[in-house]
Amino acid sequence: MATSAPLLDVQGVTIQYKTAEQLVTATWQVGFQVDRTDRLVLLGPSGCGKSTILKAVGGYLTPADGRITLDGRTISGPGPDRMMVFQETDQLLPWKTVRQNVAFALTASRKASQNEADEQAMAAIRTVKLEKFADAYPHTLSGGMKQRVAIARCLAMKPEIVLMDEPFAALDALTRQQMQEELLELWNRSKFTMIFVTHSIEEAILLGNRIVLLSPHPGQVKEILDVDLDDPANRFHGRFNDLRDTIHRVLFHDLGDYVI
Amino acid sequence: MSLETTFTTGVGERTQLSQSRPSDQAIAEIARPLSLAEKIWNQSLVRKGLILVLLAAAWQLYAARLNNPLMFPTFSDTAIAFWHAFAQGGLGSRVLVSVKILLTGYIIGIFLATVLAALANGTRLGNDLLEVLTAMFNPLPAIALLPVALLWFGLGNGSITFVLIHAVLWPVALSTHSGFASISNTTRMVGRNYGLTGLPYVVKILIPAAFPSILTGLKNGWAFAWRTLIAAELVFGVSSGSGGIGWFIYENKNQLEIAYVFAGLLTVIGIGVTMDSLFRLLEQRTVNRWGMKF
Repeated sequence: MATSAPLLDVQGVTIQYKTAEQLVTATWQVGFQVDRTDRLVLLGPSGCGKSTILKAVGGYLTPADGRITLDGRTISGPGPDRMMVFQETDQLLPWKTVRQNVAFALTASRKASQNEADEQAMAAIRTVKLEKFADAYPHTLSGGMKQRVAIARCLAMKPEIVLMDEPFAALDALTRQQMQEELLELWNRSKFTMIFVTHSIEEAILLGNRIVLLSPHPGQVKEILDVDLDDPANRFHGRFNDLRDTIHRVLFHDLGDYVI
Repeated sequence: MSLETTFTTGVGERTQLSQSRPSDQAIAEIARPLSLAEKIWNQSLVRKGLILVLLAAAWQLYAARLNNPLMFPTFSDTAIAFWHAFAQGGLGSRVLVSVKILLTGYIIGIFLATVLAALANGTRLGNDLLEVLTAMFNPLPAIALLPVALLWFGLGNGSITFVLIHAVLWPVALSTHSGFASISNTTRMVGRNYGLTGLPYVVKILIPAAFPSILTGLKNGWAFAWRTLIAAELVFGVSSGSGGIGWFIYENKNQLEIAYVFAGLLTVIGIGVTMDSLFRLLEQRTVNRWGMKF
């Protein structure tokens, strides 16, 4: 696919974790590659280990087997070169205003001095159209606004790769659709690389240029699909429906009659 | 006639309208400024002040009828004694002595508690250490350690400081610890995502995230320390020459200057109330403002 070496290389990653009684294998020999400016979606039902893989890429989990490399370096812990956006709306620090939240990310990771950070933070907040709320505390914002701030914070950091863990799952349907479109708009503007985790087939087709389909218990790669829609935002496109059917078939094939 | 027209037409016309249609008048009154009396009564300070005045009046009346200044001096006698004690009797310097020792013990106690809680957050052994120590020492009244403290540090500020540290350390460590434990996994992951580790991680992420709980601990620690200090000073405190408020109270009781004893007690109450409002202010400026109140 890509001629140069991939930005992120996930090779044969098996992740296990211990509960009080047993050792659970969350993912088994998962492998995929992410090139620069890719929008890679990890899609699968719950229990397929998609969030687990994302956390391993984030450096929060160490694989029991396999390797994850970013730009050729093996990932050994969390770092600001891989910014996470979480599903939970408590990912903003409640004791900091919107602007401080974004600026703090820059100063804490030593990416910018205080003055530079303030400026860059405001610029990032403007891109998500929240400049009116720059001095508001997070608890006064709606769920969608909080997620926008989290995205602004993430993009202000200019990370190598953006890791999104179902960031819109907790939002209402209308806000969710709006956020999806805004995210695509942001991508069109700055062409960042991202991995996006979701369990929504539509969201995956809408946001991804490639989709990794995972099956559960333990999580394994079933198929990697390229999305080749000329107008991804058009949900009523014929090709959109074809893709959705294909994904549906792949994901639920094993379950057979189980699915109604 | 719509609501809008009642607003836009002239005053005279509106009166006429409201006469013909009384329901319009009721709706038209969307916002009416409160009367001055209502505004004043809405101030909690005013209401509480009134309660204080009533209490003082009751005290004055009862003590005057009792007419036994040795047992229960009147409010006015106490107020005069208070004034004299501050003007000439050096009550001010006594207060300073007490507050200075208190702050020393309080600050050292908080520092140790933070170290202990940070250790407990980082390691499992540290966690066990904190749990064992707080389980043992938190129920032990600080004043019970005074005899041992006297043995080790002699008669003086060293002993009081030791006892104060004990009074502050455990409640603050306990609430800081539970505050750290209640920090969400997401918040921790966000902090580590910025590459924060070690002390910067504790100071910039854990402490503010646990602040509601820490503040409760600080309040409790303060209350314990203040009571312990006055109690300890009642036992001794003469060695340092002047002694604190506790000693002031004890001294005056021995000299049967009961009005001065009451003046001393009022001072203790006054400082307690002041600190309480300072904590409340701090709470408004931080936890309430951040929407982190439990």
